Amino acid sequence: MLTNIVRGGQKVILRLEDILNKIFSSEQNILYYHGAMPNFFMWMLFLSGLLLFAYYTPTLEAAYQSVEYITKKLPYGDVIRGIHRYAADAMYLTVVLHAIRVYFTDRYREYRIIAWYSGIALSLFMLVIGISGYILVWDQRSLTIVNKFAEFLAALPFIGETLSHGFINGDIISNYTMSMSFFLHTGTSFALLILLWVHYMRISRPVVNVTWAIGSLLAGLVLVIAGAVPALSGEEANFNAMLPSIPIMDVDWFYLWLFPLIDLVGNYGAWAALIVGLVVVTLLPNFVKSEDSEPASVNKDSCVGCRLCSIDCPYEAIYMAPRNDGSKYKELAVVINDRCAECGLCVGACNFDAIELPTYRSTQVMDDIRIALQD
Amino acid sequence: MAEDVKNAEEETVEEQKPKSKDEVRVAVIACERSVNLEGELDQTKLNGVDNCDVIQVPCSGMIQPRMIESAFKSGADGVIAMGCQIGDCHFREGNKFCRERLLGLRPPMIKKTVPKNRLQGFWMSEVQVDEFKDRIEEFKSHVANELVKEAAED
Repeated sequence: MLTNIVRGGQKVILRLEDILNKIFSSEQNILYYHGAMPNFFMWMLFLSGLLLFAYYTPTLEAAYQSVEYITKKLPYGDVIRGIHRYAADAMYLTVVLHAIRVYFTDRYREYRIIAWYSGIALSLFMLVIGISGYILVWDQRSLTIVNKFAEFLAALPFIGETLSHGFINGDIISNYTMSMSFFLHTGTSFALLILLWVHYMRISRPVVNVTWAIGSLLAGLVLVIAGAVPALSGEEANFNAMLPSIPIMDVDWFYLWLFPLIDLVGNYGAWAALIVGLVVVTLLPNFVKSEDSEPASVNKDSCVGCRLCSIDCPYEAIYMAPRNDGSKYKELAVVINDRCAECGLCVGACNFDAIELPTYRSTQVMDDIRIALQD
Repeated sequence: MAEDVKNAEEETVEEQKPKSKDEVRVAVIACERSVNLEGELDQTKLNGVDNCDVIQVPCSGMIQPRMIESAFKSGADGVIAMGCQIGDCHFREGNKFCRERLLGLRPPMIKKTVPKNRLQGFWMSEVQVDEFKDRIEEFKSHVANELVKEAAED
């Protein structure tokens, strides 16, 4: 059943991509940049965040006013704020798109497992960045978020109180809370870069950049939305008029969905949902039975050390080792079995019959061609 | 021995008659993840198209120039290397590399003796079965024309 759904999903994706290919060419097909798009928005966020950082003051007294100053007084401050707000949503949206694409095209497991796990971690980090970002504004919604999130953390057994205390950064909401939120927002952002490095591990040439045309289009879209629907603060946070929950109108469904969820099923229910969701997503690769692996193998006598296979391997599964077995060639290609995708790209790169897929050797392919053409 | 040579010569003389489009033999070396040929193949013969054999490999990036050469040597008039749509490869770069080899931009290079005018790359996805067959027919006409041209040049 699951296999049929996945295959159906892949067909839909392929049809859609074919249409876009015919209109825009494959070079400018936005769907082929599903991984590079979140990256593009991330750099937009870093850049706009840097500008906001220059004027933002993370204290209870000044935070709200500094954001108001940025929005209303600073030239183009409202635009920068809008970019920061909507690029963040766009980033999550494209991350979800990316995850759907790799899931339905079966590109998330086995030799890609590191990318899948690090992707889960990346999206969790993004949630933390998003939630803490909404605290920095320090309007009524921010206050509600702090309260509800502190309670949510405290509900966790054993470590909950410590986490909650750490998040509030003391016993009561204070300037230290703002510092913590500011740290969670910016510090975690930099952690994204480290996680991205992990995310790209074992990919020889990751597609990290969109084309100029697509980049301009995406930036333009964010700019238009930022202009059409300005990002504004609510009323300044007021401890005497604390809201019991975030009004539905003010929920950012990309980053703040946790709070309506808490309202709906309570703290324990939300934890349960979150943990079950995480476990399912983490175990998704295990739901599909892996085929027996038969990685590419190198024939030492034929390898001339030309490096072509190690260059072409898309998963950094082949490295060149120095030879000291009396061969006249200096290097020998070595396959790291766990990383091998059994795609045969190394075979296509080899002119010497030196690297083969045990399941389908190149000599066998040529025999099959000959036999097919005989009759 | 001498007779064999004579027979072979006679055969080549016979083959110089221009082939009609239907007689043209095409070999397709295809990525198994591109056009979905489940139920479309009788062994290697493509259903509904005359004289077209398909040999499937895990990825078009695995296609060696030597495989293309051997297809021509074994009697194919035209050869197609087929992979998924450029930009989409299950193994990231297989079709891109294959395309670059066909264009002579990436080693190992295809020998100069290979008739490049009768060699093409098809880049199609799983769902494009009908389009694939149409393009094979087009390719066969193209090859038939090229053969006529080549015969005229000789």
